[in-house]
Amino acid sequence: MKSRNYAALSVIGALALTACSGGTGAKDTNTSASGGADATTIKLVAAEYSKDNTKAFWDAFAKTYKEKYGYTLEVNVISWDNLDQQSSTMIQNNQAPDILNLNAYASYAKDGLLYSGDEVLPAAVKSDILGAFQKSGTYQGKFYGFPDLSSARAFFYNTDLFAEAGIAAAPKTWAELEDAAAKITAKGHVGYAMPLGPEEAQGEFSMWLFNNGGDWKKDGAWTINSSENVDTLNFMKSLADKKLTQNNPAKTNRADAFDLFKSGKAGMVVGFSPLAGALDKDGKVKYAVAPMPTKADGGTPQTFGVTDYLMAFKKSNNQKAVQAFYELYYSKDQINTFIEKEGFLPVTTTGLEYFSKNDKLKVYLDTLPNAHLTPTDDPTWDKVKLAVQQNLGAALTGDPKAVLDKLQQTASNGG
Amino acid sequence: MHPLVALAWLFPALTLIVGVVLLPAIMLVSASRSSYSITGLRLGEAGGENYRNVLTHPDLGTVLSNTLIWVVAVVVLTIVISLGLAQFLVKQFPGRRFVRWAVIVPWAASLVITSQLFVLLYDYNYGLINHVLTTVGLIDTPIDFLGDDRFTMASMVVVGVFVSLPFTIFVIIAGLNAIPDDVMEAAVVDGASPWQRWRRVTLPLLRPAMLVATVLNTIYVFNSFPIVYTLNDRNPGFTHDTTITFMYKLAFKSQEKDVGMSAAAGVINVVLILLVVVVYLRIANWREETR
Repeated sequence: MKSRNYAALSVIGALALTACSGGTGAKDTNTSASGGADATTIKLVAAEYSKDNTKAFWDAFAKTYKEKYGYTLEVNVISWDNLDQQSSTMIQNNQAPDILNLNAYASYAKDGLLYSGDEVLPAAVKSDILGAFQKSGTYQGKFYGFPDLSSARAFFYNTDLFAEAGIAAAPKTWAELEDAAAKITAKGHVGYAMPLGPEEAQGEFSMWLFNNGGDWKKDGAWTINSSENVDTLNFMKSLADKKLTQNNPAKTNRADAFDLFKSGKAGMVVGFSPLAGALDKDGKVKYAVAPMPTKADGGTPQTFGVTDYLMAFKKSNNQKAVQAFYELYYSKDQINTFIEKEGFLPVTTTGLEYFSKNDKLKVYLDTLPNAHLTPTDDPTWDKVKLAVQQNLGAALTGDPKAVLDKLQQTASNGG
Repeated sequence: MHPLVALAWLFPALTLIVGVVLLPAIMLVSASRSSYSITGLRLGEAGGENYRNVLTHPDLGTVLSNTLIWVVAVVVLTIVISLGLAQFLVKQFPGRRFVRWAVIVPWAASLVITSQLFVLLYDYNYGLINHVLTTVGLIDTPIDFLGDDRFTMASMVVVGVFVSLPFTIFVIIAGLNAIPDDVMEAAVVDGASPWQRWRRVTLPLLRPAMLVATVLNTIYVFNSFPIVYTLNDRNPGFTHDTTITFMYKLAFKSQEKDVGMSAAAGVINVVLILLVVVVYLRIANWREETR
């Protein structure tokens, strides 16, 4: 009797556990409203930039939105870790939100899911958005990727470690950077923290390649394996080979590299304004921010800019409510408050003016209008980015040219 | 009795089976035969394309052998260690209740939290394990437990064993408690040595408990996502992925980013684990056990 129970238990357990392991949802019923009346409630899926501020901002925003326009905004704040997965699941189930906040948009535009700027964006708002972001938000001649905020990378260095190693000023060229890294490493610290792990490999590499005159794509053609980019990756590999970086850079994620810098162990890192915010809050590490060194002597430092998007999903009857959403979001009070609270950078001309009062942001703001972005306007990039994240690290233990050749091929084949 | 009365009694169980087991399974199969855009939008029928793509994936071999090593290592180590610990925990000693409670803790904690904790313990720069090993003088430079390909799988197996122990120990304790005292007394009277008593009496009588522990652990470990995913998140590609994290990455992280392909991998997973369980039960001769 007893042993029969055991056997039955194992069979039931087997069924239950295997069934639970599946569950990538498929079709579900469409719950979006239909019929003639305008939607009175729209749903926002927003990315969580910070635990403290994001939810608070959107909740307050929803309140104002209701008071001003009479529509209800259903706010869902989701962490970056889960955002891709959740948005994909929503779309699979025909339950797309009305507004989605994400770091990509082109694939959604390609699938014909989005409203273009002409349909939902007030004209004054469009002309206020900085040129670089208008360009990155335009797919096939139409503006779909409305930027919510931006960030630009800059070069962070630990002034205490620089003093200890006897380095007078921030490096201006790659050779000086290598020299500084060697001196800091000789003192038993990490010279340069290089995160080429899967979290954000494309960001780190972008910052380097832009400062060697390279790019991901030039004049409509992919240039991932251009000679500049191969040079760049070779140089990064040489830093790693000479042990001037932290241990195992190919498998270090950005968050871990930032932790090294925040704990005062690393001399240099490529960071952005939220890192500065965190460092100021801790008050533990003395640091300074400078433009990224260039390969060539006397080169103009380039910066890598990132923007995230607030895209609008086409549904019957939601157009008016969505329009109202953008009108409110891009009003100075709202967008600048949001960006300021989260510690990011503006995306509009009026925003640039507003933030120029803050001296700390000067180093970023000066470079922002000319920032280089990754080719987010090409849906292929959405896949190339993933390929870069998963494969770039291999260059540090293998052949950089071969890795880039393969990525170039992936991109040319359309992802 | 009217047959409908029986149906009424069965209704809750049937709803559960249909809702929790059958429906998701049907959805999974239908997703695996559809083609999806990177955004998750269903584009149309795909036929067997997704299955072909999974089966010809260049990393499939690595993933399968990782899965095999992962499951066998974790399950075998768990059972062996549990056998020892369970023997100890059935003995009477002061504070036994407390120790038994302590054993449950890793089971009660969320797997993600436990995994994250081990990420911190294993850390190259600040990790306690490296700190202890270097202080004691066993190693000169820290070991990159999670980034160094030679250590990654072993580091994951340690965590896998750690979280599988509580359940297994308690199953075996239950099995040990079910062994009748008179059998053991008879063995003592017949002059069996302690080793003989354990090998010839305890172990055979533990067979049903071990069977359950092995089957459930195999399924559980095979399907374990948080440990492999959390400890392996710094490593690019699929070098240390098992079929479960492979399935997840196909849908959301890898350059394929294809829900359909991921669903196909999911179906293959279910088939695989059912096959393993059936083969194991055959080998273990479970029909005999249930008589």
